[in-house]
Amino acid sequence: MKRKLSTLLVVLLVTALMLVACSTDTPAAEAPAETPDPVEEPAEGLSGEIHVYTRDATSGTREAFEGGIGFDKDEETLTASAVETSGNGDMASKVGNDVNGIGYVSLTTDFAANNLKPLNFEGVEPTIENVLSDDYSLKRPFSYVTRAAGDFESDEAEALTRAFIAFITESEEGLSAVDGAGGIVDLSSAKPWSEVAETVDGFDPATDYSGITLRTRGSTSVDKTLKAALEAFQAEVAFEFNMDHTGSGDGFKRVLGEEKDGANAGDIGFASRKFGDNETVSDGMLSGEYCQDAVVVVVESSNPLSEITQQQIHDIIVGQLTTWEEL
Amino acid sequence: MTRKRRIYDGILNALTYLSSGIAVIILVMVLQFVFVRGWSGVNFDLLSKPYWSGNNTIEFPQFKTGAFDRPDHLGDDIAFSEKLGIGLSDGLDAYKEHQVVVEYLDPESPLHHGVVSTAGVDLGKELGLSEGSNIVNLMLKDTDDKIVNVGAQRKSTAEETVAAMDNISEMRKIYFKTEGGGINGSLKATLYLIGLSLVIALPIGIAAAIYLNEYAKANRVTNAMRSSIELLSGVPSIIFGLMGVSVLFPITQLMGIHTVSIILGALTMAVVLLPLIIRQTEESLKVVPIDLRYASLSLGATQTQTIFKVILPSALPGILTATLLSISRIIGESAALIYTMGTFIADRPRLDQGATTLAVQIWSLMSGEQPNFELSSTISIIILLIVLALNVSVKLISYRINKKWSVS
Repeated sequence: MKRKLSTLLVVLLVTALMLVACSTDTPAAEAPAETPDPVEEPAEGLSGEIHVYTRDATSGTREAFEGGIGFDKDEETLTASAVETSGNGDMASKVGNDVNGIGYVSLTTDFAANNLKPLNFEGVEPTIENVLSDDYSLKRPFSYVTRAAGDFESDEAEALTRAFIAFITESEEGLSAVDGAGGIVDLSSAKPWSEVAETVDGFDPATDYSGITLRTRGSTSVDKTLKAALEAFQAEVAFEFNMDHTGSGDGFKRVLGEEKDGANAGDIGFASRKFGDNETVSDGMLSGEYCQDAVVVVVESSNPLSEITQQQIHDIIVGQLTTWEEL
Repeated sequence: MTRKRRIYDGILNALTYLSSGIAVIILVMVLQFVFVRGWSGVNFDLLSKPYWSGNNTIEFPQFKTGAFDRPDHLGDDIAFSEKLGIGLSDGLDAYKEHQVVVEYLDPESPLHHGVVSTAGVDLGKELGLSEGSNIVNLMLKDTDDKIVNVGAQRKSTAEETVAAMDNISEMRKIYFKTEGGGINGSLKATLYLIGLSLVIALPIGIAAAIYLNEYAKANRVTNAMRSSIELLSGVPSIIFGLMGVSVLFPITQLMGIHTVSIILGALTMAVVLLPLIIRQTEESLKVVPIDLRYASLSLGATQTQTIFKVILPSALPGILTATLLSISRIIGESAALIYTMGTFIADRPRLDQGATTLAVQIWSLMSGEQPNFELSSTISIIILLIVLALNVSVKLISYRINKKWSVS
């Protein structure tokens, strides 16, 4: 009996190990290598049902996307078959694994690694040049707003906030950090930080800011560009930062809105969209935009589709176009 | 036995084998998953390294190029600058971002003698480039007197960076990042949290257990108290997290803390641990033989003296078990801490500021747009090892208790 049990266990173990070994050998990111025969895909177009992927309702990307394609949240409803994804990375991997999928991600996404194909929108290719020149219309700004003047933990924190905003909007060091991290900025008017620093009110490079923590809140989409900028600023001025990003909706709320004195209060709030009418950013000490990001409609990489118009994607989203043949 | 009976028994037996087999296999799969992904990252450096890279800008007041020979041991994938004596390679960080990594630095290289130009306390101090760093941006003047920027930020490859270095006429500044990706801060924060939570929860929990077991009369009120404590242990920890941020946060605000903090996390964890400590302590008080109590009382000791001088020391191993179980619980907890301690990985955790424990650091690493599987798996291995050590000690302690109280 004992021997039977152990044999059974060994057999099961070996099978399980093989299963695990298989699954660890093929992480999603390496999926493109697994499709060696793209030639065999039907050339005349995909057939079958379109699987629509969308983001969660608080997502700034979703808002930018819906605004860009002329989808009116109040009048129209999303197709009931749409699958909601929890983040940009989640969206990228889900669409990348679904031949019939269509979704949207930010331009900074690594398309190849996620097995995605970016589509031209209204005949314009989603590139950085086209976004800066305003040719590509499916884009959004990364906006910031600070706490109200005088509402900071200390005068040093206020001066440091002012200096950081000047750093990411005017200085060459800051703008190239954002640019290096995939943000779309105009580098032509940038000045060296040493010049910019002198123009910042109340900021004195001789002061020790190393005990000050800049708290950033809001959109998760700004994460990458903002982290690069904060680190680059740390190379210029010694200070600490604390990034706790949960979504564009919290950007205003946690620096000027109802949670500004709560546990998650911040010094600078970010949104991956323009701030809304009910978000009174004029109360803040500073507000504006520090870079652009484009939303790109994507399909799985073997999908023969390469162009999409605003009307087509709108019809897909509301559920009027449901199969690839109709495109 | 009839044939039918035998088949029936056989099926039932097979079912139990299968079920226990499944349980073992799942455990092995989990272990293999984290070990395959994360074993390569386990080393002692990890425990002492900060998570965030240090960001430094250095300038070179006296800068002279030299003539260096490429050392033989450098591989073909490393580009070597003969003027500056530095070997660079292309790398990827944990988030698949491009890096220009310093692989080799000649002992005589001028890049050793930099001066910090970052505003702050370190301004003007000597700081050289070090091996393992990532050159983010290098600003220099080339032989045509033109300013050139190269480095990871400009998406230059190692080759391009070296080409620019060999065409240098004047060095301006280097912005480089030191190696990061460690868990030192989270490890410290975890220890702080364990210490503080136990300091709060143990005295309250033990005292409550003593009351319930020794003083309280067996009536409806006591029973109601006992069952509500039991109910408390079934509440999902995320609800404790919500409670912490809305009910306990005002308490920490009174202490002058205006953000999520380790103290808030410890208060919340203390609430989570209370039912566990109370039940475990009560169990260990129950097994103290009644004869001990009678002996103590008959010698003229009061009930209080009996409890604190006779019963409590006898129950100590059980309380120790409760403590170790509590530590395991704290190490494994994440939901309640995300709300009360935040998700920002702090390298120098302070009690009055947010930080992440090891488990929350995993959450934090995985929730970004580029999940960091390798480091998460490595941290998982470390957590598993700690929990294993704790479990073994619990086993040892309960073994000793059983030996002590067993009637032989």
